[in-house]
Amino acid sequence: MALLEVSDLDAGYGDLQILEGVDLDVADGEYVTIVGPNGAGKSTVMKSIFGLTEYMGGSIVFDDSEIHGYRPEDIIQTGVGYVPQNDNVFPSLSVIENLEMGAYILDEVPEDRLATIFDRFPILAERRDQKAGTMSGGQQQMLAMGRALMLEPDLLMLDEPSAGLAPDLVEDMFDRIDEINDDGTAVLLVEQNAKEALRRCDRGYVLVQGKNRYEDSGDALLADDQVRQDFLGG
Amino acid sequence: MSTGHGRGRLSNLTPQEVVGGLLLAGIGILVLDLVRLVVTGELPLGRLWSYTWNGIVDSLYIGLAAIGLSMTYSILRFANFSHGDLVTTGAFSGWTVAYLIGGLGVADLSSRLLLRADGGAQPGSVGMDVLSAPIAILVGLVISAIVTILVALAIDRLVYRRLRDAGGIPLLIASVGVALALRYLIAFVYTTDTRIVVASPPQPELPAAIQSVVPMETINLHEATLVISALALIIGVHLLLQYTKLGKSMRAMSDNKDLALITGIPTERVIFATWVIGSGLAGVAGYLIVLDRGQITINLGWFLLLLIFAAVILGGIGSIYGALAGSLVIGLTINLSLVWIPADLNEIAAFTLMILVLIFKPDGLFSGVETA
Repeated sequence: MALLEVSDLDAGYGDLQILEGVDLDVADGEYVTIVGPNGAGKSTVMKSIFGLTEYMGGSIVFDDSEIHGYRPEDIIQTGVGYVPQNDNVFPSLSVIENLEMGAYILDEVPEDRLATIFDRFPILAERRDQKAGTMSGGQQQMLAMGRALMLEPDLLMLDEPSAGLAPDLVEDMFDRIDEINDDGTAVLLVEQNAKEALRRCDRGYVLVQGKNRYEDSGDALLADDQVRQDFLGG
Repeated sequence: MSTGHGRGRLSNLTPQEVVGGLLLAGIGILVLDLVRLVVTGELPLGRLWSYTWNGIVDSLYIGLAAIGLSMTYSILRFANFSHGDLVTTGAFSGWTVAYLIGGLGVADLSSRLLLRADGGAQPGSVGMDVLSAPIAILVGLVISAIVTILVALAIDRLVYRRLRDAGGIPLLIASVGVALALRYLIAFVYTTDTRIVVASPPQPELPAAIQSVVPMETINLHEATLVISALALIIGVHLLLQYTKLGKSMRAMSDNKDLALITGIPTERVIFATWVIGSGLAGVAGYLIVLDRGQITINLGWFLLLLIFAAVILGGIGSIYGALAGSLVIGLTINLSLVWIPADLNEIAAFTLMILVLIFKPDGLFSGVETA
């Protein structure tokens, strides 16, 4: 049984339809990547799961419930964490305040969870009281992931976490995503850095112009001549 | 102006830097002149002190109102032109209750209920000062906040909520309409007459220890009440924003509303809190202004709104700490400018300063330092 099952999803912005009949599923603990050219609608898939786009049809089932139409705070409650691509921290809040906001829907800040996140991202413990806006891009990305992990989501959605990172940090970012996945959290990843993402993931989707084009294991997609030629630069 | 000669030498400077330099030079010259006036005895030290003190008093009530305007801007994303009339709402509702309680058995019900619209219930005979009617004035203060909050929440429910996603301009225009409707609704009940509603303030002598520190022999207890209440509320807002979950979520939402939404922050609840705090402070500001000035008029808040906007913009719109700093600058400017120019023109000094600062720093003095 899939944890997340998106079927025949149509969505867009205003009158502009971006997604046309997208199907996608993520099993419990699975690591799934969406790749594709610019403007293919990769980020739109994630936004649509969170109800941030214009819904035009189809279904989004998470953990056996249809979550289309849920308010974002209810979607979080069902166990989905989301790290958008840009502006994913509160710049004038300190690191610890950003993490506290991640646990807003709980009555109290879960201290054990906070400790786990500080273990995983020691830099966040070091910079505990620093304003998020003054940190480097890589550190902000870790903070954004930490914030989304505060509620121990069953599924973590990451929108281009390696975008804008220095090349030596990209590898580190992928390692951390592996660690999160190894702990049992299912990961849905959208990436420009398609080769690295497909190498790391269990399964991948290639999205083109708002439609599913290919779907296979990451290694199989990497080995596919057509995919290599069209989407991975040979 | 001999810009022709200056252009060669100043060509490396941006217009902003030129304006900034002129601004600093101008302030420098004024400070030197101030020193000269004091040294030569043309400006008695006592008068300089009273200008400064009045500046602080003015900046505190401007600041109280500015916090709310800044919050609505950063969290609801629109410039609320009805904010000034929320100040007026607080003034009229609070003083009505103060009269109902303080004038009990002394004056007619109608004179008290309509805040002396008929000319009855003299403030002196009712004893409307902080020593003669402390409880009535305190209750009035609390009521000014409560009524203003209820009015603001009702307006939000009726008008602004329906336009929540319409963008800043429709909301701004709607708020101008709300401002007019609110003001003339108040005028309909209370008439447009300006009238004195507060008795002259008790002025006890200051203890010798304090007299040696500040050049004041007596203290105006109404001003003291204003200063203490305003400072307490400002500190309270600061503590709320920095240390409570609600305050942090308000700052988060003013940073990034979309991110707040996907983080699970219930944005409507934050908006509710924003109205409660912002309009409550505006109402109290209106009430305290009347306590200080002694008189009440339906244009109270509308006239103040320009100064509030100036303070908020000067500090960097959307930052409450900037708004408070901007209020201090505006309050001191309108009073200290009296050293050189007549009182009728003192607001010109404040707005000129605002324009010059904005040319120099278009995002305000505190832009990017701290939001909400």
